[in-house]
Amino acid sequence: MRKLFQFLYRYRAFFIFLVLQAICAWMIVANNNYQRTVYLNTTSRIAGSVIEKADNVSDFFSLRKVNEDLAEENARLRQLLLNSNVSIPDSTSFITIPSDSLDSMEYIAHSAEVIRNTIRNTNNFITLNKGSKDGLMAGMGVVNKDGVVGKIRSVSSRRAQVISLLNTNNPISSKLLRTNRLGTIQWDGSDPRTAKLLYVPVDVDIQVGDTVVTSSFNAIFPKNMMIGVVKSAKPDIHQRDYEIEVKLSVDFGALSYVSAIENRLKPETDSLSVQNPGETND
Amino acid sequence: MTRNMIIGVTNFLVYVTLQVLVFQNLVVFDVGFVFVYIIFLLLLPMELSFSGIMLLGFATGTIVDVFYNTLGIHASACVLLAFVRPYWTRLVTPRSGYEVGVLPTLNSFGLGWFITYALPLIFIHHSTVFIIEAGGINFLSMSLLKGLASSILSLVFIVAIQYLFFKNQR
Repeated sequence: MRKLFQFLYRYRAFFIFLVLQAICAWMIVANNNYQRTVYLNTTSRIAGSVIEKADNVSDFFSLRKVNEDLAEENARLRQLLLNSNVSIPDSTSFITIPSDSLDSMEYIAHSAEVIRNTIRNTNNFITLNKGSKDGLMAGMGVVNKDGVVGKIRSVSSRRAQVISLLNTNNPISSKLLRTNRLGTIQWDGSDPRTAKLLYVPVDVDIQVGDTVVTSSFNAIFPKNMMIGVVKSAKPDIHQRDYEIEVKLSVDFGALSYVSAIENRLKPETDSLSVQNPGETND
Repeated sequence: MTRNMIIGVTNFLVYVTLQVLVFQNLVVFDVGFVFVYIIFLLLLPMELSFSGIMLLGFATGTIVDVFYNTLGIHASACVLLAFVRPYWTRLVTPRSGYEVGVLPTLNSFGLGWFITYALPLIFIHHSTVFIIEAGGINFLSMSLLKGLASSILSLVFIVAIQYLFFKNQR
């Protein structure tokens, strides 16, 4: 210990220099916008590359699980295809083909991989490995095979940041599938497996096990995307609304591949509401 | 010693005031900035301890930063200047050596010595300011050009000030 103090004392000038420079660096980063941006960009680039490398390794070990998920989804899609009533083209009968199949597509899904995800904070964010170069834009909804994951908050050229559904500032317009009653899904910041369904009045018939899906009233998600099922419902202390707990269908602890959903008609919808000001309230 | 202290305090008040009121507005060809306040750090007594100079440098830099709205940048450069100064003075000792109580001014040791002593220190200080201002080494050539031009400009002002005001002090 004495040796240590001797050492510190001998090089005290250098240590004082380091301390003062550290204070300066802190003041620079805390008070100057441009320097702070440079600092944040540099650190996030370094952290990003480290996280990506680590993620590559962990990806390798989750390949089996991902494969199973994909196979399962393939089977489900094939099932849908079989059940859909599109007749197989028969050369002897007339079939009608839409003139341009692109026009009839309202939603486009872009697949992406989750490279960073938190679930334990009050406001959680997810980082995707794709960005504006791959067609992702701020405001697009993000889902995986089980249901709604969140929406994109900002994109850079090769990364996108998603506000997770597990974020207390991310309400999502939703409805009860059986009764078509609208409500709002909002996470309360405690349990990553459940969220609250708000603004459902007590006169609504509600049962444990009811499915909660996205409503058609938002331009971010297609309607009837799965969110979760009602876990418990009881009237709140004012007997006005239900306090509903919804068990989320997405396992946020094990997110790996997701799809970002592009609504091709969103610009059109938005411009229509801009043309008629005063008639919308959002 | 007391005389040196009075000179130091006066230097500090006069040059920091001059810097933030007058020289802050002086820019030559977009590359020449004048940071004349570091004359205070350059003319501190030789006997002052390492940490003393650095703390003074930190304080001076912070005060200038407050007026330049660049909190931390000048402070950092001044601390670096103060850290390098003792090593540099040891390297450029004049033939007669330093005398106790004599300030390292132009009149004490001559113009040639003063420029060798001051120019590298001024250059270190100025380039540090411009490199931090540019947010790293992205615009290194521009920062160094600014640093060099400003160093020469500052040196001219610092020498001129000493000819004007320090002439008869010895």
